[in-house]
Amino acid sequence: MITIDKLCYNSKLRYVNAGEKFAFAVITLLLCVMSRSIAVACIVLAVTGILTVYRGGIPFFRYIHFMSVPLAFLILSTLAIMFNLSHTPLDLFAIPVGTWYITSSWESFFYAVQLILTALASVSCLYFLSFNTPMPDIMNVLGKMHCPKLLVELMMLIYRFIFVLLSVSSAITQSQHSRLGNKDYKTSLKSFGAMASVLLLRSFKRANVLYDAMESRCYDGTLHVLNENYPPSRKHIWAIIIFDTLLLLFIIGKGIFL
Amino acid sequence: MSHKQKRILAVISAFSLYFGLMPTASAMHIMEGYLPVGFCIAWGVVCLPFLAAGFMSIKKVLDENRKALILLAMSGAFIFVISSLKIPSVTGSCSHMTGTGLGAILFGPAAVSILGLIVLLFQAILLAHGGLTTIGANTFSMAIAGPLVSFGIYKLCSKCKVNKYVSVFLAACLGDLFTYCVTAVQLALSHHADTTIMGALGKFMLVFAPTQVPLAVIEGIITCMIIMALETYAKPELRSIGFMKEGR
Repeated sequence: MITIDKLCYNSKLRYVNAGEKFAFAVITLLLCVMSRSIAVACIVLAVTGILTVYRGGIPFFRYIHFMSVPLAFLILSTLAIMFNLSHTPLDLFAIPVGTWYITSSWESFFYAVQLILTALASVSCLYFLSFNTPMPDIMNVLGKMHCPKLLVELMMLIYRFIFVLLSVSSAITQSQHSRLGNKDYKTSLKSFGAMASVLLLRSFKRANVLYDAMESRCYDGTLHVLNENYPPSRKHIWAIIIFDTLLLLFIIGKGIFL
Repeated sequence: MSHKQKRILAVISAFSLYFGLMPTASAMHIMEGYLPVGFCIAWGVVCLPFLAAGFMSIKKVLDENRKALILLAMSGAFIFVISSLKIPSVTGSCSHMTGTGLGAILFGPAAVSILGLIVLLFQAILLAHGGLTTIGANTFSMAIAGPLVSFGIYKLCSKCKVNKYVSVFLAACLGDLFTYCVTAVQLALSHHADTTIMGALGKFMLVFAPTQVPLAVIEGIITCMIIMALETYAKPELRSIGFMKEGR
């Protein structure tokens, strides 16, 4: 039901140590956001894209499709950054509207291009993590980073329940649709409300049953989960260190020369 | 074609392009990498006291009643699922609820702050809504500011003896609108290339208004319907989470 979750279990990089992937994605992401340069963004976009598609084996068109998910937000907010409403026309272009101008300057145009590329490159970093690492592995890494135990446990339970509730909700929605539950707008609103309330009801029932089951298996306030652990490979760690150091040097070097 | 006709054509095609984009418009998650590092950290720090308060309150509840952990986790999953489902919207496009208004009314703002953080992390990783660096800003607008306003309005209305459904509608709707305003402020503070901050704020508000204002109204209506149905079918459950204190 959640495509990314399905894809990441089939990724060829799934059995690589999760800490390595997490470190690579987060460090590259930070470098990319900090530098805000077009060149760095292109490098990061290319490297993470190639890693995800060729090494991870994620279908290329799926990847492109997912890159376009945040597009609506990107386009709308970039429109807001680029276009200005003022009495005086700026240097890029100006469309007169009454006594005002819808106008834009080269400066804000470059700013917008920079922003779009940085954002896309950061999204590709995020995708490298989420397309190649199953959620339990990420939670395991968070636990090792001394994230509060309560939080990690809550995350683990929520992750499990999401799929339970999704299957319940899709079954309800399907049966509503087969009974013309979406025949007009008013009915579909009503169906959605009914579905959501029944979903909450069912989830409470499930929670009660689950608690009884856990209690009967000696639940004492902590959940013990067996984690699969894959040893980190020295080759990968060196590759990550070298890539990110080169990227950092490139950013510093550019800062000096420009 | 005369010059005027051309201009009219251009305006019309711009409009249709704009509304053609709407189908993919989701709730206002600031996307990954859109905020400068300074702002990412600053919003994260602003969130910390609220998250700490939420954490403490959850911990206190759990010490009294262990079962609450399962209930909390279910509520978190419920918020995630509600916010990931497409809701019917006027233009036939697909849009999502934030779900946090409902959460704040049912479970209280303290629990929602922590649940919201986890839900946003899941949304970033599993659905590609939002991101890791912008999680501070998103948490502040969606899991703290919006729910606080929703909860405040709900309590205020029940103090003033306003009809329950009206107050639920107002709480969910205004909470959603407030989330949208906070997000616009966050964007304006970090990106104002050649205008003032107020000018940038106006532009962001204007650009996102066509998607967000109808969405807020729909969210209000749906939240109202959910509460109505819950009161009919699920009185004991509602009492167990402390939503209906008056034992009718």
